[in-house]
Amino acid sequence: MAQIRLKNVSKRWNNFIGVDNFNLDIADQEFLVLLGPSGCGKTTTMRMIAGLEDITEGEIWIGDRLVNKLEPKDRDISMVFQSYGLYPNMTVYENIRFPLKVRKVPAGQHHERVMAASKMVELDDFLQRRPAALSGGQRQRVALARAIVREPNAFLMDEPLSNLDAKLRVSTRAQIKNLHHTLKRTTIYVTHDQIEAMTLADRVVVMSKGLIQQVGTPMEIYDRPANTFVASFIGSPAMNLVHGEIHNGVFTGDHIRVDGLSTQVNGPVTLGFRAEDAVLADSNAHIEAPIYSVELLGEATMISMRVAGELVSIKVGKDYRAEIGDVVRVNIAPSACHLFDRSTGQRIATAG
Amino acid sequence: MPHKTFFAFILPSLIAMVLFIALPIVSVVVQSFHVEHGRILVQVESCQPFGGCTTETRVDTAAMAELREEQPMGRFNGFGTYLNRGHLAVDEIGAILANNNGIGDIVTRIYNLPLYKALAFTLVFCFVVTPIAMALGFVIALAVNTVPKMVKGPVIFFSLLPMIITPLIGSLILYWMIQPNGIIGANLRVLFDDPTLSLRQSPLLTWLSLLFYGVWTNAPFSFVVFYAGLQTVPADTLESAMIDGASRWERIRYVVIPHLAPLATFVALVQLMDNFRVFEPIVGFSAEANATSLSWLIFNDLSGDAQLFGSAGATSVITIIGVIILLSPVLVRTWREFNHKVV
Amino acid sequence: MSDTAVSQRRPLGLNIIIIGFLVVWVVLAAFPFLWTVWGSFKVEPDFFSRQNWINAITGPFTQRQTGSAFTGDGYYGAWVTREFWRAVANTAIVTVSVTVISLTLGTLGGYALARSGQRYAFWILIAALVFRAMPHITLVSGYLLPFFELNIWGVLPTSIIVLVAINQPFTLWMLHSFFLSIPKDLDESAMVDGCSRFEAFRRVIIPVMWPGVVTTGLFSFLLAYNDFAVTSMLLSSDNQTMVPKISSFLGSVQEQGNVMFAVAAVVSATVPLFILVLFFQRQIVSGLTAGAVKG
Repeated sequence: MAQIRLKNVSKRWNNFIGVDNFNLDIADQEFLVLLGPSGCGKTTTMRMIAGLEDITEGEIWIGDRLVNKLEPKDRDISMVFQSYGLYPNMTVYENIRFPLKVRKVPAGQHHERVMAASKMVELDDFLQRRPAALSGGQRQRVALARAIVREPNAFLMDEPLSNLDAKLRVSTRAQIKNLHHTLKRTTIYVTHDQIEAMTLADRVVVMSKGLIQQVGTPMEIYDRPANTFVASFIGSPAMNLVHGEIHNGVFTGDHIRVDGLSTQVNGPVTLGFRAEDAVLADSNAHIEAPIYSVELLGEATMISMRVAGELVSIKVGKDYRAEIGDVVRVNIAPSACHLFDRSTGQRIATAG
Repeated sequence: MPHKTFFAFILPSLIAMVLFIALPIVSVVVQSFHVEHGRILVQVESCQPFGGCTTETRVDTAAMAELREEQPMGRFNGFGTYLNRGHLAVDEIGAILANNNGIGDIVTRIYNLPLYKALAFTLVFCFVVTPIAMALGFVIALAVNTVPKMVKGPVIFFSLLPMIITPLIGSLILYWMIQPNGIIGANLRVLFDDPTLSLRQSPLLTWLSLLFYGVWTNAPFSFVVFYAGLQTVPADTLESAMIDGASRWERIRYVVIPHLAPLATFVALVQLMDNFRVFEPIVGFSAEANATSLSWLIFNDLSGDAQLFGSAGATSVITIIGVIILLSPVLVRTWREFNHKVV
Repeated sequence: MSDTAVSQRRPLGLNIIIIGFLVVWVVLAAFPFLWTVWGSFKVEPDFFSRQNWINAITGPFTQRQTGSAFTGDGYYGAWVTREFWRAVANTAIVTVSVTVISLTLGTLGGYALARSGQRYAFWILIAALVFRAMPHITLVSGYLLPFFELNIWGVLPTSIIVLVAINQPFTLWMLHSFFLSIPKDLDESAMVDGCSRFEAFRRVIIPVMWPGVVTTGLFSFLLAYNDFAVTSMLLSSDNQTMVPKISSFLGSVQEQGNVMFAVAAVVSATVPLFILVLFFQRQIVSGLTAGAVKG
């Protein structure tokens, strides 16, 4: 029903650039996540789509309408806010009904639709309470119900889970995923939490400093990060990044020497690899360094060491035992290695 | 928010402020460059049947009324009003500086010029009352903070009274008490064993009683603000100071006072602004013989039978310049912060 | 819990000093009012006694002149003979109108300022700060001539409008910082839900803004009530409000030996303020500090 298109969209405040030349096509029924650290412009982008923020330059299309000049109410979208924006003077029922009332939906339909929405988010028992008498998770569900009660073109969600505790976050996340499946609406979801992005998204847009860093499916972003920023932002723990030199397929640095890499690249580069891609070796290893710390995680053990000035983490079996200061030897499969340009941070495409 | 919506919301308020604050300021400036029309005199010959004729000079009321009708503001006077004896008194000051018997003489003679007399009291009032009231307010806040909750309410209630009381009424209440036949005045006579003692007689005592009134009415504001500030002093910092070995006084000195410093700037600013317009106490205390203020000068020009708009205008402009000088540190700081934020 | 904390323990000597100090302050703050209220029920030779100030408490002259220790003569003189009730009525009209109009304009403007974030919103606030600092009497000297020319001098509406305008800078600042404390999410979700900006303000903001409006209203009321500069210069003697009326009492009353009329009028004018503090102490305190925390 609603494809959303952003063409060269920019947002500036005086000299400060919030969003710079943002181009993106969002397909109908897609679940798109805008991911990035705070201040990267992801919320601003969403607020521009909602019409809560003026657009300095560019065009935003929802369906086949150019919405640049339209008021939020005329864009036919609904939104879940970070702190929910519930109306404190109305009951839960009235809160959910509010969009129907102000949009002059025939009164006869109200009750049925409110009940349907509240059933979907399991709020039936709380309809006569006021928001102040609800827990955080319940308030969050009221906000969701208010968003889904009418059937808008698109849902916008601005960090909807950030005010919930860890346990509730997981179950609500599943609920949102399920709602999207049921309602089949275009959804744009803003978060700084990469796990939320990975679990929810059809596609993820990673942003930093107002610029798109990479657009792709969660797996693309995890497997082939476009630059060191994305590499260091996605995954837990983030990808290890080590500075060094590469010559004839051999990467060298302090405590590290990896061979079997691409021979097309020469000069200073940044080598990236994930903690789980490293394996312990006996001798003649790629990395040989004293242990800096050992962390027991339960299902695995994390050891870290200083390599070329950076702290590098690797994941080993849960039974592994070693003392701080012991020298450990590690091998990395060349196919699991990522090469980035040292100065620009961009991924260096290598064959295979 | 779109510009159109913003202005739709703020327009009524903006119109009120432009019409009744900005324009009057312009009107005051224009008035200050004008002065009342001189009298138009006519020679009238009046002849009596037996006494012959005498010529007499009279004010031509009809012509004056007409002139007033044409130019209600009076005639243009340029900076004349600003420089005359009633205001900056440039000539008089020049004469005093040229011919005097030392510093003391200069000060006394300049003090006798009306504007400088008013300015002296206004500034003294500002810069004596504000710090004393703030210090007193701070001490009250510290004291109230230590007493049980049950006592706090009533203490705050009584403390608020001197602040919210109408200034004219508050000063009248105090004035009646310090009169020779009021309770304080009578007791002071006994205390100093001086049956002629009267706070109104000596300029010094008048000033002191006005300053006392100022502190009395200003202290509650500092108290309330500082008291609220005390509630936000981080308990962790206080307790770590205790563990580090700070005494009661050192905790106040190194934790509480730095924490309240931004509030103190705010209080000082508000109170300086309010004290600069000191006016009602002078009316209430009937103190104009010994103490006047800039605001009182304007009031006096306007409330006489002949309303001296030019003179009031000039004093007003000088007062406004004074306010801007007082505010300038704040304005400069805000300006810098604002530019900093933008860059 | 904090009452029992070690940091709250004080030596006895310090406690005595603190309590002594507070007693002195409370007496200083409250005694003048109690004294004047008590004295307003005496005759002049007692309240302004030439022999002994104790007379103001015991009231021997009052006893002799009226046959009772207390007399309402001062009040009768002020309210009936000198028609102080007219001034009271005028004050009621002026203060209520000023408060209502100030708040209406102020909530709209303050809301816009809190939600705009534009450069000019900042400058309007700074201009308001400068206007707030202007001594009222300097503005009054700018009003008089134009008002004479327009023939609107001396009537209540003129004073009301002027007081509203003078009040605006303060009202705007106060309500602006209050609206900043209402989450932006609230009106924005209303706008996404289908309201225009004004509808969002009416349906969602107005229902939750009353605490801030009440606090601001108290201060608007106080400003109008306590004003002397504007009302004494802009109102004709028929239309005077309480404060200028009392001031004009002083001149005439002293010569006729009727100072007690003025004392009674002063006490009458103080009573509403007492009641105000009694009921709205919390709001006054929070209002003062709200401004401070923002500043």
